[in-house]
Amino acid sequence: MDARRFLGKTVVITGAAHGIGAATARRFLDEGARVAAIDREADGFAGLEAEHGRLLAVAGDCTDAAALADFHARALAAFGPVDVLFNNVGQSGRERAVEFHASSEEVWRFVLEVSLFTTMRMARLVAPAMRERGCGRIVNMSSDAAFVGDAGLADYAAAKMGVVGFTRALARELAPFGVTVNAVAPGAIRTRAHDRLAPGVIDRIKAGAPAGFIAEPEDVAGCVAFLASDDARYVTGQTLMIDGGRWMI
Amino acid sequence: MTAPLHGRRILVTGAARGIGLATLARLVAEGASVAALDRDAPALAALPGRLGRALGHFVAVDVADAAAIAEAVRASAAALGGLDGIVNAAGVDLYADIEAMAPADWDRVIAVNLTAPFFVIRAAYPFLKAAGGGTIVNVSSAAGLSPLRNRTAYCASKAGLQMASKALAIEAAAFGVRVNTVCPGAVETELFRSSFASAFPDAPDEGAIRDAVRARYVLNRIAEPEEIAAAIVWLSGPESSYVTGVALAVDGGRSFH
Repeated sequence: MDARRFLGKTVVITGAAHGIGAATARRFLDEGARVAAIDREADGFAGLEAEHGRLLAVAGDCTDAAALADFHARALAAFGPVDVLFNNVGQSGRERAVEFHASSEEVWRFVLEVSLFTTMRMARLVAPAMRERGCGRIVNMSSDAAFVGDAGLADYAAAKMGVVGFTRALARELAPFGVTVNAVAPGAIRTRAHDRLAPGVIDRIKAGAPAGFIAEPEDVAGCVAFLASDDARYVTGQTLMIDGGRWMI
Repeated sequence: MTAPLHGRRILVTGAARGIGLATLARLVAEGASVAALDRDAPALAALPGRLGRALGHFVAVDVADAAAIAEAVRASAAALGGLDGIVNAAGVDLYADIEAMAPADWDRVIAVNLTAPFFVIRAAYPFLKAAGGGTIVNVSSAAGLSPLRNRTAYCASKAGLQMASKALAIEAAAFGVRVNTVCPGAVETELFRSSFASAFPDAPDEGAIRDAVRARYVLNRIAEPEEIAAAIVWLSGPESSYVTGVALAVDGGRSFH
């Protein structure tokens, strides 16, 4: 494996200031890419910027269509056409998670907006140029929670299964143009969302997957980099589970 | 960055041609020590010359022969000083409608594609457990995810291999051993080309056959063995550290798994 598989490539990552997004941004930077990253909390980029001169870090909200279009325009201006899009942004709204019978439409709308529509919106921005150039890689963030259907996360499961269907349809549409579209579906990854959980819950999560441990964001970054690399050029329309074996159907 | 698989000791079955050979070459290129098993002794003997460097170990053996496989795996582990991974790439294909398929045909497909990987895994398991961070990659098929006409035995054997791998992934996780399958679509191999006559008896020429095969995949092409090897090697290394029990389709967009 060439250690700099993304030399000269332009990579766009949403939700990149923390956790999986940040680990993936670092990974692409380490392998030579120019990375355009957007996050609501741009102060989280500080560590990345100090190390690399190939990072465009933009403070912005992916649920704001105008802000996302502006981010895309700035990425193009800085680094040229997008070779790889990693649609990472999303969240379960876990602090407001309740069983469905007690849930509110306001929260569904938030979860679907941030975990599904942001993915569609960013893909819509890059797809025309990828079609035209006859190359490109899109990796979308799903979740094994979409397959498991965890109690209390019905809206999140719906959004992340939406990502799976979107991934498949877009893979079919873009295949004739040499563009692959895949999804990753992580399970328990050590991120800020996990750090807020009670120790008992953490133990239950660990025991819930055969692997018996909670993975690091870097474990996901390795998978995203694979799907974005030339090595995965014959892989499209797939959803790769990264969950230590929690869901195997 | 050092070669990512440097120091890993990996055994490959069906290593003399096709996907197995491409996997072997990629493993060697990434710094792994390898053992190569194949029933084709002359092809195996030619491998070190083809790969441009000496291999760790190679054994001419039929994977369907349980006793011989156990001995070949033990000898390979002894030669390499242990085993960190195995790749079960040996396989056979069969095109036959249900009435044309003799019971012996069915038995042979199941024996080579489903039972033989189990023989290899069982023999290698103590070494993988001892190594820590072991990997098992079984080469299944997209036909084990999404069925194809006149392939009942083949599809069943490949689907069975996936489920055996998933079940094993649960118990193997206790030892830090990951178990995954790769599910290729059509790949430019001798096995694929040898199927043309039985798979497409009415096709006017090879071009028509290739067109028909390509049309199954949204990427509209047939894969090279190296493209499957890339996924196998990725699943055999540290990059896929939290991936176990998956069936990764490298199928140009057919199964949408």
